[in-house]
Amino acid sequence: MADTPEAIQKAVRTYMFVGGILFIGTIITVLVATVPAFDVGRHGFDAWDCVLGLAIATVKASLVAFIFMHLNHERKMVYWLFASGLVMVCSLGGLTALAMLDPIVDTFFYSGR
Amino acid sequence: MEIPYVVTPRKDTGLFNSKIAIWLFLASEVMLFGGFFSAYVFLRIGADYPWPERTLPVLPGLINTFVLIGSSVTVVFAWAALKMGQWRKFQIFMGITVFCAVIFMILKGVEYSVKLHHQALRLKDYTVVEGHLGYEMDGDKLALDHNGKKIEENMIFVETTALSYSVVRFYKPWVEEILAQAGHQKSKIVLSEDIVAVTREGEPAELIAKAGESLSPELLSRIQKLHLSARSHNSAYRTDALRKEWTLAKAANPGVSDWKFASEVNIDMDALSPKLLTELSTVSFKVEPAARFDFKPRDIQEADGTSRLRDDTVVTGKLLASPMVFHHVDAIDFQHLAMKAEEKGIDPEVAIQNSWLIKNSPFARKAWEWHTGEVAKLKKELLDDYGLDKNGEPKRVPTHKELYRIGWKELGVMAEEGGQPKLSFSDGLKEEFLGPNYKARGDDTFPSLSVPREQIGFAAKFTPAWNTYYAIYFTMTGLHGLHVIGGALVLAYYLFFGRKMFLSNPEWLANRVEVGGLFWHFVDLVWIFVFPILYLM
Repeated sequence: MADTPEAIQKAVRTYMFVGGILFIGTIITVLVATVPAFDVGRHGFDAWDCVLGLAIATVKASLVAFIFMHLNHERKMVYWLFASGLVMVCSLGGLTALAMLDPIVDTFFYSGR
Repeated sequence: MEIPYVVTPRKDTGLFNSKIAIWLFLASEVMLFGGFFSAYVFLRIGADYPWPERTLPVLPGLINTFVLIGSSVTVVFAWAALKMGQWRKFQIFMGITVFCAVIFMILKGVEYSVKLHHQALRLKDYTVVEGHLGYEMDGDKLALDHNGKKIEENMIFVETTALSYSVVRFYKPWVEEILAQAGHQKSKIVLSEDIVAVTREGEPAELIAKAGESLSPELLSRIQKLHLSARSHNSAYRTDALRKEWTLAKAANPGVSDWKFASEVNIDMDALSPKLLTELSTVSFKVEPAARFDFKPRDIQEADGTSRLRDDTVVTGKLLASPMVFHHVDAIDFQHLAMKAEEKGIDPEVAIQNSWLIKNSPFARKAWEWHTGEVAKLKKELLDDYGLDKNGEPKRVPTHKELYRIGWKELGVMAEEGGQPKLSFSDGLKEEFLGPNYKARGDDTFPSLSVPREQIGFAAKFTPAWNTYYAIYFTMTGLHGLHVIGGALVLAYYLFFGRKMFLSNPEWLANRVEVGGLFWHFVDLVWIFVFPILYLM
């Protein structure tokens, strides 16, 4: 954690830099979704747009978590707390995904359209 | 008493109190929002209708993203300023942060308001029409309902000859509304026959109200009172009689399970009836001469002959033509119809040509013809730009939405191509935030449409009622908005009331701001996912 004035001054520069990256990331996400020339995968929204959009969002969220929320130099305790929340979300989300394995399905249910 | 570890960290955890608390809280928040993201995924893959892809206005969402990211930067600046003991700088950066929160909520409020006033209608054949309804007029003034609100041109009209009220459920404002409507049409609502009832045990029936007495909430209340007292009087007798019957039956069947002889335990109603009072659960009135009453669709289950209101009032009379009138149609959407047609193996184009809208609205025909041309142009462009794949199929084709939806932007382009003047920059910008600008574009771009009641499948404003997309949209953005408000209140508290603590214990205040900032970053972090998922995918 930045505690000395010099260290804080340095940290402020990092925050500005990260803020800039977040802005750029947002612009890229919007361009990919709205401008055909930047569209990835098939024309219009598809799995590639989804993967790219979420990947950029994950990078942005990680930057917020690691830099702004100081997770890059936190105590062990904080990692345990935050990780436990994430693990719960992933495992419970994963459990509900098991519903996809149900053999009794409506033919049109997962057809997408 | 001095609270330990508000400034210095505890040795075992290495953290001060509030930090460990906020991280515990944030971990629970991750699970809360995680649950909603998971719900979103399942609603989307399980949707039995075309998911509204990229349907929200991007510009306000994008500005809100910038606003939140900006405020995330300023809140760490505010914390850094405190750490360096610079109160003035802290005030400026925290002030900007709170201001950003206000901007965010204003834009969100505008977005919500547009949704809540925008009408959607799904016809029986699954064509979707969007726009704004007109308002009922009373002469040359706008007609107002009993709440003083404008009445949308979406009323059910019944040529009413008789009304029957449930005395326990009638809703007084509706009775008054009906009376006002009858008065307007110089019609009278009067009791169709004498009401005669036994109101005291053992005494003969007496006249409660004479045939021909006018309907009034007071009359209904008077009958309600008699009904309720008769009901409780009678039920006391019935319960007592039943209890006695059970005692006798049990004595006659010793050792036998109750359920084996339960069917034989009955009250002798003939013996009981002289003691009972008359229950008057409904009261019938006739309307002379028959009058046209209008009801809001959500209040009535309409049918030709006998309709029923939500307060159990039975309305007898002929159901008149009750169209839903769009003052302005701003989108025509055949996506759902096309999906249903594809499921049945019908060519969507054929299904669209046979739809009620295309057959009955010259504007829809014109728009669809123009749209078909645009789709052909798009197909050609995509083919020219990206070519064919190995199988000889075009690499890129128009999306389902581009094929079957004519949104307000397309209608605007169509009108401009047809000679309508282009919007000014400010009017165009307004459209990005407030949706279709009827005033600037006029009735030729967004014409009116009258839809007969029998064609209406489902209608709602763009609220959670319309579909699961809007349900999850309002849930997630609403919950996020509440977090923005909560976070802003806490940060504003530090800004406006932190001076005293800054002078007495600046490190403690810095720790508090750090913790408030952690929450604020989390709010930003959630939005980083909400924005692409709800607005761009």
